Amino acid sequence: MTAGTYLIGIDVGGTFTDVLAYDRVSGHILQAKVPSFPGEQWRGVLDALAALGIGGATVSAFVHGTTIATNALLERKGAKTGLVTTEGFRDVLEIGKTRRLTGGLFDAAWVRPRPIVERELRLEVPERVTADGSVLQTVAQGDLERVVDVLRDAGIEAVAVCFLNSYRNDDNEAAAVEALRALLPGVPVSQSTALVPERGEFERTSTCVLNAYLTPVMAGYLDTLTAALSERGVSADVNIMGSNGGAMTIETAAQRVAGTFLSGPVGGVTGVCHVVAELDIEDCITFDMGGTSTDVALIHGREPRMSHDNQIDAYPLQMPQLDIHTIGAGGGSIVHVQPDGTLEIGPQSAGAAPGPACYGRGGAEPTISDANLLLGRLPTDRALSGGLILDRGRADAAFQAVASMLGVDDVVALADSALRIAVAKMAGAVREVSVHRGFDPRDFVLVGFGGAGPMHAFLVADELAIPNVVIPRFPGHLSALGQMLADMRCDFVSAWGGRLSSLTVAALNAEIETLTGRATAVLTADGIPAELHRHTVNLDMRYVGQSFTLPIPWSDRHADWTPLRAAFDARHAETFGYEDQTNDAEIVNIRLVSIGTVEKPEIGMADAADGDPVLERRQVWFGDWIECPVYRRDAMPPGFAVKGPAIVEEAGGTSVVPPLWRCEVAADGALVCLRDD
Amino acid sequence: MRDLGTLELVRESLVAVVNEMRANVIHSSYSSIIYEGHDFSCALVTADGRLVAQSLDDSPIHIFAVPYSTAEVVKAFGDDIHDGDIFLHNDPYTGGTHLNDVLMLYPVFNGDTLALFVATRCHWGDVGGMTPGSLSGRAKEIYQEGLRITPTRICERGKMNDAYLTLLFDNMRVTHERKGDFNTMLGTSRKAAEHLERLFSRFGGNALMNSVEELIGRSAAVMRERIAALPDGIYHGEGYIEGDGNSPEPLVGRLKLTVDGDRLIADFTGSSPQTGGPTNVGPAMAFNGVGSIVKSFLDPHTPVNQGSFLPIEVINPVGSFLNARLPAPCGGMVECRALICGLVVAALGQAAPDKLVGDLKGGGNHVYISGPQPDRDDIYLCYEYPAGGTGGCRGVDGNHAARAFPEGDFNSVQSAEVIEAHCPLRVEYYGLRDGSCGDGAFRGGLGMRREIKVLSDTASLSVLSDKNVIPPFGVAGGGSGAPNRFTVIRDGTVIEPSPMPGKVAGFEMQAGDVVRMESSGGGGYGDPLERDPSRVAEDVQHGYIAAADAETRYGVRLDDELRVDAEATEAERATLRADRIEITVEVANRDAWDGPRRLIAIAPPLAADLAVGPGDIVEIISLGGASLRGWVKIDPSAPGGAITLGPEGVAALAVNAGETVRFARLKAAVA
Repeated sequence: MTAGTYLIGIDVGGTFTDVLAYDRVSGHILQAKVPSFPGEQWRGVLDALAALGIGGATVSAFVHGTTIATNALLERKGAKTGLVTTEGFRDVLEIGKTRRLTGGLFDAAWVRPRPIVERELRLEVPERVTADGSVLQTVAQGDLERVVDVLRDAGIEAVAVCFLNSYRNDDNEAAAVEALRALLPGVPVSQSTALVPERGEFERTSTCVLNAYLTPVMAGYLDTLTAALSERGVSADVNIMGSNGGAMTIETAAQRVAGTFLSGPVGGVTGVCHVVAELDIEDCITFDMGGTSTDVALIHGREPRMSHDNQIDAYPLQMPQLDIHTIGAGGGSIVHVQPDGTLEIGPQSAGAAPGPACYGRGGAEPTISDANLLLGRLPTDRALSGGLILDRGRADAAFQAVASMLGVDDVVALADSALRIAVAKMAGAVREVSVHRGFDPRDFVLVGFGGAGPMHAFLVADELAIPNVVIPRFPGHLSALGQMLADMRCDFVSAWGGRLSSLTVAALNAEIETLTGRATAVLTADGIPAELHRHTVNLDMRYVGQSFTLPIPWSDRHADWTPLRAAFDARHAETFGYEDQTNDAEIVNIRLVSIGTVEKPEIGMADAADGDPVLERRQVWFGDWIECPVYRRDAMPPGFAVKGPAIVEEAGGTSVVPPLWRCEVAADGALVCLRDD
Repeated sequence: MRDLGTLELVRESLVAVVNEMRANVIHSSYSSIIYEGHDFSCALVTADGRLVAQSLDDSPIHIFAVPYSTAEVVKAFGDDIHDGDIFLHNDPYTGGTHLNDVLMLYPVFNGDTLALFVATRCHWGDVGGMTPGSLSGRAKEIYQEGLRITPTRICERGKMNDAYLTLLFDNMRVTHERKGDFNTMLGTSRKAAEHLERLFSRFGGNALMNSVEELIGRSAAVMRERIAALPDGIYHGEGYIEGDGNSPEPLVGRLKLTVDGDRLIADFTGSSPQTGGPTNVGPAMAFNGVGSIVKSFLDPHTPVNQGSFLPIEVINPVGSFLNARLPAPCGGMVECRALICGLVVAALGQAAPDKLVGDLKGGGNHVYISGPQPDRDDIYLCYEYPAGGTGGCRGVDGNHAARAFPEGDFNSVQSAEVIEAHCPLRVEYYGLRDGSCGDGAFRGGLGMRREIKVLSDTASLSVLSDKNVIPPFGVAGGGSGAPNRFTVIRDGTVIEPSPMPGKVAGFEMQAGDVVRMESSGGGGYGDPLERDPSRVAEDVQHGYIAAADAETRYGVRLDDELRVDAEATEAERATLRADRIEITVEVANRDAWDGPRRLIAIAPPLAADLAVGPGDIVEIISLGGASLRGWVKIDPSAPGGAITLGPEGVAALAVNAGETVRFARLKAAVA
C-alpha cells in the first residue's frame, strides 16, 4: 500500500459505475456515480475518479470489481480459442457426461448451447497418464507442432490444455503447456491443473477453456486500465475482486480469469458482511438490484455460502466462489408485451444509455424505473443526485404505448402490474438461494442495496413474508464499499490424503506447512506483511467408498485424529442423516484459504445534517394513492424513526417503505426495518 | 394475490425438499451408479399415493411409477402404518420399474394422520441374480434378475428388521456398496422428514395439505384445458421391440389413443403377449410413458404433480408384455418404456403435429463390465447407459449424445478419471459417433462412441439394449438414426458378444479386450432434401457428417473450403428427388400380419426397383407422423407401383388411399 490518502473501491455495473473513496486523513467518505460504458469499462473507472475530484497521486489503494469476464462470456465475445487434449477425448467438452445442464425436462425443442470451442479447434495429441499417476506415454514435440500449425492457421488467440488424469500427475500437461507457449509466443495458454487440480475431466476442461477464452479480454482490459490510470498519476497497486470474496493482484487476475466471474457482485456481499456485523445480525440475504441485473446471496452465521462446483451459463466452472444467484432484471429492465399478449419484464435493459424513458435521453421504451416514477416513488420536481431531473411526461408516454398495445387505458394500473411482475422475479431469485437451498427466507434479514434495491426490497420482503429489512447507508455504493474494504485472498487445494488409519498428523501438518508457505509467498509479494496473514485449513473428508466430501475444519492444535473424526461423523450425521462409525474415513483434499488483512478504517456513516428531515409530502401509489412524507436520509440521525408508508431519499438510492413497516436509524446509519403484522 | 403467493411458496418449498434430497443422495452415496450416474429419483407422494412434487432433474421413469408402488404399500398395510415405519419395494408386478430400482417409502405424519410419503428410488448396482449387475439381455425369468421385494416393512416403529436386511445384502454383489446406498436412502429420508416437519409447523399441517390438494387440482385443470384444445379423434401408434433377447421374434406394441373432449384414453390392447425374455414391464410403465409424453407435448411448464395425469386413462390388458406378470423378467423396463413413449409420440403427434419429434435412442442401453479387483477379495462393477442422439423436431435439430426430454437429467456415462480410479479399466475413446444422425430438414443428434479397455485378467460383459436392429424412427419425412451397437474388439478384430444384437449376458472377456459402445442417433424431422444447405455445411465443418454424406444424404455439394455450392446443390437435389420412388397407397379391409410382424406385400418388379427382398425390414416414410415399420413379403399378386395397407396402417401413417409414400430399407433379412 502506497502512502497516499484515499482508499478507493470502484464497482463497474451494467448501468452505472460507483466509486467510494475513504480519506484516511480526514475520515470522510466521498462518493460518485457515473454512467458505465459497455465494452469500455475503464472509461467509467476514469470518469468516476474524475468525478471524485481527487488527484491520482493521492490514491493509496485501489480495488476494482469488474464484470468484464461475465459480460464477454454472456455475449460470446471472448477470444478465438483452441483446446489441446488427450487423444480420444476432444468431444468431452461438447457432450460432458450427457446431461442437459440447462433444464429441458419435458421440452423436446431444448437445444444444448454450443461449446465454447468448436470441434475443429479441439485438437488431440497422443499421450497418457494412468489413474495412479504413472506416465504411459509422453507427448511428442512433433504432435504439438502439428497441432500448432492448425491453431495458427485458424488464427486462434488463446489455448486451453487439459489432459486426462493430469490431476494425479501433470508432467505431460505441463510439458505441453511449456512447448505450446514457446511455439505460440504472445498467445496465452491456460493449464487445467493450474486452475483445478481436482478429478473430473469434464469440469476441469470446461473451467480451463472458460479461462483461456476470457484471458485476452481480461488482459487487454487490465492493460488499458493500468495505462490510463498511470497517465492520471495513479501509482497505487490496482487489485481486482475475485469470485471468492477476496481481492487479487491484476497479474493474478489476468491468469485466473475463471476466478473473476463474480468480481462485481461479491463486493456487495462483502459490504453487507461489514454492515451486519455492526448490527449484530447473523443471517441475512443480500438483495443487490442495479439497473441491469439483480444479485442475491445468502449469508448464514455471518459467512457467505461458498460453492465449488459451479456452472456459468451452460458451462461447469470448478472454482471456489461465493454462492451468488443473478437474474437479468433491474431498474432499467424494459417492460414489453409478449407475442401471446402477456406483459413481460426484461431481460433487455435500457442501461445507462439511453436509460429509462424518464431520463429524457432518448429512451422510448418503458422500464421499471419509469413504472416507479408513475407510481409516485421518484421525485419529478427536484434533481436526483447527479443533477438528473426525471421527466414524468416521457415515462407516461412510454407506458401509454404499451397500454394501447394491450388495449387498456389505466397507465397507473399497468405500471403497478409491471412492478408486481418484477417483484415476483426478484422474489424467485431470493427463493433460489434460500428455499431451494433448504433455508426459509423468513428466518433471514433482507438487506437491500444497489441503485434499485432500496426501492424494491420491502416489496420483495412482503411477497415472501420476510419481516426484517435493512437498508445500509450509501446503498448505491455498498459494492464499492465492500471492495474498498476487501482483504487479499488466495485459495489453495492439494489432492493430499488417504485413510485416516494410514495417515499421520505430522505428515498432514507438513503438507499444510508447504501450502502455507506458498500462500505466504503470494500474499507477501502482494505487499501484505506476514503478521497480517490468516490461514484457515479445511479437509475434504468422506467415508471410504463415498465419492463426495464434506469440508471439516482442521486445527494444528489437534494431536491425533480423534477430534477430526468426531467432527466429521457429527457433520455427516447433521448433513446426511446418518453416520457410519464402522467405516474408515479418509481425507481427499486439503483446502487452504489465506487472507491478507488490509487496513479497515472505522468509517462513521451515521449522518446528522442540519435541517428538516421531511423534504415534502407527496402522493404515492400503494394500491391506492396515499400521501406520504418524503425524508432526506442525511438529516436522519441515529434513533430517528420512520413509519410506512414513507419515502427515504439519499444520494444513490430511494427507499420505498410500504404501509405496515417501521424503520429506525441504527448507530452506524443503517435503516433497520420491521414489518408490523 | 396473497393466497396465490402462499400456494407458490408451498409448492416451491416441497420441490426444495426434493432438491435437498437429490443433493444428499448424490453427496453421501457409495456407488458410482448413483454419485456419477445419478440413477435415482426422489419425490413426495400423498398418503394415498398421488404424486406431490419432484424436481426437474428427477426422472419421470422412476417417479411416474411411484404412485403405483405407494398404492400397493397402502393396500398391503392400510391403517397399520405408523411413525417410525419404513417400507421397501421393487416388484415390477406391483408397480415397480425393474428390480434394480429399489424404492424406499418413509411415512411422514401431520399430527396423528399419515400425510405424505418421502420416496427415494435408487438404482442399486446389483440386486443378485445370474449376472453381475443383475440386468442382462438374456434372462428367462425374473428370478434370474435378482431379489424381488414386494411391499415390505423393513422398519417397524423405529425397529429395523435386521434379519430381512441381512438376507437382502447377503444375496447381492458388492455388499458394502448396497449397505452404503441403503444408509444413504435412509439418511436422506430422515432429513427430508425433518424438513417436512418444519414446513408443517411453518404453514400449519392442514393448511399445507390443503395447498397440496389445490395444486393438484390446478394442474388437472390445466391439463384438461390442453386436451380439450386437441381435435377429438382416434389416433394410432405402432412400434416394435426387436427381440426379447432369447429369440429374434419381435414384440409389437399397439396404441389407440382417443381424444374425447378433455379426456385422453390410451389403449394398448393388441400388443404382443408377455415374453420369456427381459423385455416386459409391469402395470406402472404404460401409464408412465403416456404421462411423460402427454406432459411434454401439452403442459411442459406446470410443475409436476398427479393432477397432470388425472385426465388420462390407460387401458392395458394383463398378460401383454406391457403389463406382464410372474415369471416374466422385467429387466428391459427402460426399453419397453421407450417403445411406449415412441407410440405416444407417433399417435399424439398426429393430434398435435407441431409437437412431433424424432425418436430417441430407444432404451436404457445398460452396459455392465465387471471382473475381479486386483489385490482385493472383491469385484468391480462398472455400469453405464450411454445416451444417444435426440430427435429432431420442427425448427430444431436433435442434440448429440444427450439425455432426452422425457428422461431425468442424469449423467449416462461416468468420468473416465473416476472409472479408472476405481476399476481396472481404461477409457480409450469417448466422442461423437459421426454420421449416426437420422437425416431430416432438422436432423437427429449424433450418438456416441465409447471404448473401454479391460485391464483385469478376466471380465464379464452384460448388455441390455434395444433398437440395435430396428433403429429410432424419423418423423414428417425424416430418416432413422443409426441403430445402437455393442461389440468387443479383441486383437483388432470386432467380435459380436451375442447372437442377439444388444442383448448380452455375461460375455467372458480377457485382459486387453475393448468394449465398444455405439449409441444410436436420433430420428430426423422433415425431408433431408429440404434442410438448409448452410446447416449441412456446418455439420461437415464440425465433422458431424462426412462431405460425401452431405451429397448422398442431403444433396448438398460443397467446395474445397466446405462452402455450399448453391448451383450444384440445386441440381443434385433435383436428381435425388427425381430418383425417388413414390408408391401409391391402396386401402384394404384389414392389415396383414405374420404374428407380431406387419407384412408389406410388394410385387416383384417394385421390389426390384426398391432393391428389397423377402424378410427385409423396411419403413414407410410418413410425411405427417412417424415412419411405419414392416417386413417385406414378395407377392406376385400385389398391385404394381402400390402397396396395400389396412385401417391401422393407414391410421398410423395418417395417409389416405391414393396418396403416395416412400420407402426406406432398414435391415436386410437375417439369413
